[in-house]
Amino acid sequence: MLGSVFTAFLVIGAALVLAIAFQRRCFAGYPAPPPGLAVLHRGEVAFIQAAAEVLFPDGAGLPVVGVDAHLPLYVDHHLSALPPRQRLQIRALLALFEHVTLVQPAGVPGGHDRFSSLPPAARIAVLERISSHETLSIRILFTALRAVLSLGYLGHPANLRELGLAPFEIEPAVSDAELLFPRVGALPLSNRHLLADRTDPTHRAPLDPDGPRHRAYLRSSRDSR
Amino acid sequence: MSDERGGADPDFAPERVANAASESGDWLAAARERVRVFAQYDGPIQEKADVVVVGSGPCGAVAAYELARAGKDVILVEEGPPFTVRDFELDGNLSMTRTMREGGLRMTRGTTMPTMQAVALGGGSLVNSAICVRPPQSVFDRWATGFELERTNREALDPHFDAIGAFLGIAPTPDAVQGRRNLLFRDACDALGLSSEPIARNVRGCRGSGECFTGCRSRAKQSMDVSYVPAALRAGARVMTSLQVQAVRHVGRRATGVAGHVVVPFSGGSRVGRTHRFSIDAKAVVLAAGCTATPVLLRHSGNLANRSGQVGRNLQFHPGVAIAGVFPEAVDPQFGATQGYQSLAFLDEGFKLETLWAPPPLLSMRFPGMGAELQARYAELPRMAVWDAIVGANRSLGEVRVRPWSTNPVLHWRLHPEDLAILRRALHVIARLFFAAGATKILPGVHGFAEQMVREEEARALDSPAVRPENLVMGGNHVFCTTRMHGDPTRGVVDEDGRCHDLENLYIADTGIFPMCPSVNPMWTGMALARRQALTLANRL
Ligand SMILES: Cc1cc2nc3c(=O)[nH]c(=O)nc-3n(C[C@H](O)[C@H](O)[C@H](O)COP(=O)(O)OP(=O)(O)OC[C@H]3O[C@@H](n4cnc5c(N)ncnc54)[C@H](O)[C@@H]3O)c2cc1C
Ligand code: SF4
Repeated sequence: MLGSVFTAFLVIGAALVLAIAFQRRCFAGYPAPPPGLAVLHRGEVAFIQAAAEVLFPDGAGLPVVGVDAHLPLYVDHHLSALPPRQRLQIRALLALFEHVTLVQPAGVPGGHDRFSSLPPAARIAVLERISSHETLSIRILFTALRAVLSLGYLGHPANLRELGLAPFEIEPAVSDAELLFPRVGALPLSNRHLLADRTDPTHRAPLDPDGPRHRAYLRSSRDSR
Repeated sequence: MSDERGGADPDFAPERVANAASESGDWLAAARERVRVFAQYDGPIQEKADVVVVGSGPCGAVAAYELARAGKDVILVEEGPPFTVRDFELDGNLSMTRTMREGGLRMTRGTTMPTMQAVALGGGSLVNSAICVRPPQSVFDRWATGFELERTNREALDPHFDAIGAFLGIAPTPDAVQGRRNLLFRDACDALGLSSEPIARNVRGCRGSGECFTGCRSRAKQSMDVSYVPAALRAGARVMTSLQVQAVRHVGRRATGVAGHVVVPFSGGSRVGRTHRFSIDAKAVVLAAGCTATPVLLRHSGNLANRSGQVGRNLQFHPGVAIAGVFPEAVDPQFGATQGYQSLAFLDEGFKLETLWAPPPLLSMRFPGMGAELQARYAELPRMAVWDAIVGANRSLGEVRVRPWSTNPVLHWRLHPEDLAILRRALHVIARLFFAAGATKILPGVHGFAEQMVREEEARALDSPAVRPENLVMGGNHVFCTTRMHGDPTRGVVDEDGRCHDLENLYIADTGIFPMCPSVNPMWTGMALARRQALTLANRL
């Protein structure tokens, strides 16, 4: 009887220690995230910024560097728009990279620390090790992470504008669809288009390749889009 | 009554748009009355019609229009919302979360491959590149001999291709909007002595914005939401959007209608996004929910129309591979028709070559490296072109399975070694084309191989047995055969008129009825089959 009470205490004690360790590893000590995030928690924000710093560093010719590209905001926006299953998959990917050092420590003192707590050189080493891993499925994890972040990074208005790849400025056409349907989520009454508003696509000239780009890409900040 | 070939389309002449100013607004007010959008639903819905068409993609939209034009009372049901130009999202990644199933992140299992299916009024036509190709007779010959089909050949289908071509203004892409990245492909083909041609597209007045994927802001692309769906409304059809059909109701060998729920736009069709119930009684049901959705719907309806055991089976794709080539001078790839040039020179060998463009952040996802190296690749984008090959992979088979508690399917599919060999060969040909056009290097995007190649000889490695399915970065947006057409009811789901062998009045009109992949872009063929089917059904009702 005493033995089983003791065992129960041991199990509960071990579970408590594990829970505290888990809490400290996964949630404690992260800086406060920027305001306005819908999905990401502070640990994910820290990871995204830490990865962005080494994936998209300074001095490579693009106007915006990774840490200034508002990637947490972008990823948060992306995740909020995804169905739950896909959202979970991407969050699992972020968590995996943040804590991969538990099983594969970085080769520096404190190598078991979270990815976001490592110095830049150690973070690069961790990512390089995964990206060149002999197992293809592990390498693909890196490709997936890079994809999630590069969508926001290269998609930053200032970067696209600098490369001449921002969408063109185009006067929105009015087709039968605009005449017939309201905007998504709105009531039909909100559609004020008249038949006379309809534009004829065949009367519009090809775009000028050097022509103006969409005004949302002329401003420098992602927040202004 | 119309004959099976159908007549001209009196209410949709090309000059219709030009005459807009003189048109009466009466049709508009009446047509608006026949549209239902999410914000209007405030309780359970009960409707009745001659025919309910499920899905407003290219096949469903054509079917709805032809049936309405034949005087039938038609309800076209669509799960997605209608998009107006102002609803388009310019960021390709965020756009996918609104227009695509599973946020654009759907993957096959077995051989992993991304595959996209749209959820919007207009289905795939809203986001596709508008490429229209008639399959050669050889494709139909294979269909006829392998699947006991007697009337599914070019001669029988050409009138339907023609009618759709005239309706949508399908025509070769003019040089003025090709842009350099498309014309370089033409030059490359010339240099290697390969045939090539401007791609014919369902487009009127393309301006070369290269943004077909996120929605044509110029409304030049004749996607279904600007063409066949409005025409169906003018012909008297009703269009109900944001309705997810969850079951086909039936009694014995007769379908009696469909039922399901209203879904909140962009909620992914999940349970939390469902609101009111709806049900629609009809004398005939046409399922055009798309090749991956229709089998799920049939399974959820008590494994309907599946005495053959073929529902969901025989899944085929046109897996595609692409290479980016870097040129010494500016290519200005942002300008030009999204996909403007193609070569059919290798169709007999099993692949078709095309030019390709997409929002740059999506294209760059496959760039190798990180840090300064990765950023250097981005900096090369203005000098880049991307060319792709799609493969008629009719040996690579899979299955659409039902996912518990979900309307989303699980797609199992495996690339067959012989189709892999075709993909390798296609990669090598694309590489040769780039060097023939003067590219200084290519980014083949094949895992485990050189990240960039600067000489044609290096590219030979791409056509070696060392390239395995897992090395390839493929995509497969053309999907087929999961409710295939077969003359023998024990081996196929529908007959040549698209009618389910097991039911008197249940039809399937999407690319799932193709008996084999067509080896060319499928939209036009799907529409031609749907048109024939709708005219036959109209005569039967
Ligand atoms: C990015 C991309 C580019 C492409 N480019 C080309 C091209 O240039 N040329 C070409 O020939 N092909 C192209 N394709 C393929 C082509 O778009 C498809 O083959 C075509 O759209 C298939 O038409 P469909 O009518 O069979 O189905 P879909 O277009 O998939 O339409 C099915 C519709 O049914 C709706 N639906 C599904 N389930 C339900 C339900 N339960 N209740 C109510 N509604 C439902 C869907 O929301 C959808 O709108 C492309 C595809 C993609 C994704
Ligand atoms: S290239 Fe641009 S203008 Fe032309 S059809 Fe596509 S989206 Fe429209």
